[in-house]
Amino acid sequence: MELSMTAKKNFAEFTLATEFTVTGSRVGVFGVSGSGKSTLVSMLAGTVTPDTGEIILDGDCLFSSSRGINLRPDQRRIAMVFQQHSLFSHLSVKNNLLYGFKRCREEHRTIDFNVLVEVLQLEDILCRDVTNLSGGEKQRVALGRAIMANPRLLLMDEPLSALDDSLRFQIIPYLKSVSSNFGIPYLFISHSLVEMRLMVDNVLFFEKGALIEQSSSEQLARNRMGQSPVGYINILELSSMTERNGLCVYRWQGGELLLSQANSATGSGLFELSSKDIILFKKHPEAISARNLLQCTVINLFESGTKMGVELECNTGRLIAEIVPDAARELDIVIGSVVHAAIKASAFRRLATTQATPEQIQ
Amino acid sequence: MLLTDSDIQSIWLTAKLASVVTVILLIVGTPIAWWLARTKSWLKGPLGAVVALPLVLPPSVLGFYLLLAMGPNGPVGHLTRALGIGALPFTFWGLVIASVFYSLPFMVQPLQNTFESIGDHPLEVAATLGASPLDAFFTVALPLARPGFLTASIMTFAHTVGEFGVVLMIGGNIPGVSRVASVQIYDHVEALEYSQAHSMAAVMMVFSFLVLLGLYVWRPSALKMSRRD
Repeated sequence: MELSMTAKKNFAEFTLATEFTVTGSRVGVFGVSGSGKSTLVSMLAGTVTPDTGEIILDGDCLFSSSRGINLRPDQRRIAMVFQQHSLFSHLSVKNNLLYGFKRCREEHRTIDFNVLVEVLQLEDILCRDVTNLSGGEKQRVALGRAIMANPRLLLMDEPLSALDDSLRFQIIPYLKSVSSNFGIPYLFISHSLVEMRLMVDNVLFFEKGALIEQSSSEQLARNRMGQSPVGYINILELSSMTERNGLCVYRWQGGELLLSQANSATGSGLFELSSKDIILFKKHPEAISARNLLQCTVINLFESGTKMGVELECNTGRLIAEIVPDAARELDIVIGSVVHAAIKASAFRRLATTQATPEQIQ
Repeated sequence: MLLTDSDIQSIWLTAKLASVVTVILLIVGTPIAWWLARTKSWLKGPLGAVVALPLVLPPSVLGFYLLLAMGPNGPVGHLTRALGIGALPFTFWGLVIASVFYSLPFMVQPLQNTFESIGDHPLEVAATLGASPLDAFFTVALPLARPGFLTASIMTFAHTVGEFGVVLMIGGNIPGVSRVASVQIYDHVEALEYSQAHSMAAVMMVFSFLVLLGLYVWRPSALKMSRRD
């Protein structure tokens, strides 16, 4: 997908003005509430008309104020998944799924209904009334309905924000299947950097209606570390839990990590660990209350605001710790230094329980 | 407490009038309600007020102006005569036209409220799934508005059944043509035929109760129906 957009839209107390070209099949739009993300996708979908500008998708002009072009939403082949599932309550699950498919031209129909039902695991609910579905089921049906419309671009406007934490990360593999299983490029909108890193490769970062930065999702997370109250979020996939002295032992990249039971629940899963929760020691400490002490090698150093990010290689896994420049001087940290990282067992937070195919998530 | 042939004829005429008016208002009122629910035009206020006028106007005032308009010297009267239809006052179709105006808010307002409560979002969703505006109206807006249509139709039918003032002004009191149930009761009372008036009044009372019962009992099931495939 190649999307080129120049647009300006004035509202009473807000103006969105942007100009960018982005390529790739997994693109994100990141920003806090009120930054203009939803206005941007509405302009792409055609439900909001820019005052001036031009929108070109894969060489086709969708909107041009100078040429007087403004395709209606139904003429753009851009489907959308919304914050609220927005299913049609008068139709069954199956007929919701087929709504866009029936309106799609024969030559554009490439998605197989049975494959979609299998990938999104909708077999058991096909004949059900949509009002009786759980939040996660509704979002999967909404996603399936958008995919079945065979769009050339799928817009996902904060599709996880209405779901609770445990459900949110269970839905992510399904969202990623849009690109991986069905070959449809998507534009994923969110105010969560963790979601961005799990969902997209390239990110457009918006603030107060303007494009601030265009980079990879990983780079954006590192750049934002110094300003974020939660720092950089390390995402770890942990497996094979056992119990030892009241703590849970997880395998991680050939080594092991101890987690407190309250934060680890049960089974393998995806966990987050803030860069602020990692303490670095120059020498192996004699005694320490933190239950995880890892010997690591510094492989990268970067600045983010007033903070310094230290990328560590521990066993075969990688972590990013956050320190202040004074601490870096005291630790004599340079690339190649060996340090010891201490992490409390309670610092980990479970994002999702992974099943047989955790690679779907990462 | 038996109904006479004349009573039955008036009840039949009332049911026929209410049915025809309801069907006409479903066709005429739906686009008006849709426009009022979705427009941002400054005309929304004035047109909404015009639609609601029959709610506050004395029926005799509405009947008087309709009589003038449809009379031989009125603009509608000129038109109907030119078309070879003749004068409409004191005919069944004259009564229908007057009733359509009089019952207009009872069809438009519930529908407008329903369309407003549905909002733009389902239509935008339909559009991003490839539905044209007309397609989205018929496949999304109308099915979602089914409970509103049921309410509006029942209210319109019931209100037309209960008309008196406008009927008397436009239709007069012609048996089989314009003597509807409410006028028949009035006739019985004037002739001191209280037993007959009681019978007719009881029929009207039971009918009104059943209509309201239907509205309260059927509406939840209509909501369920509207969600079914």
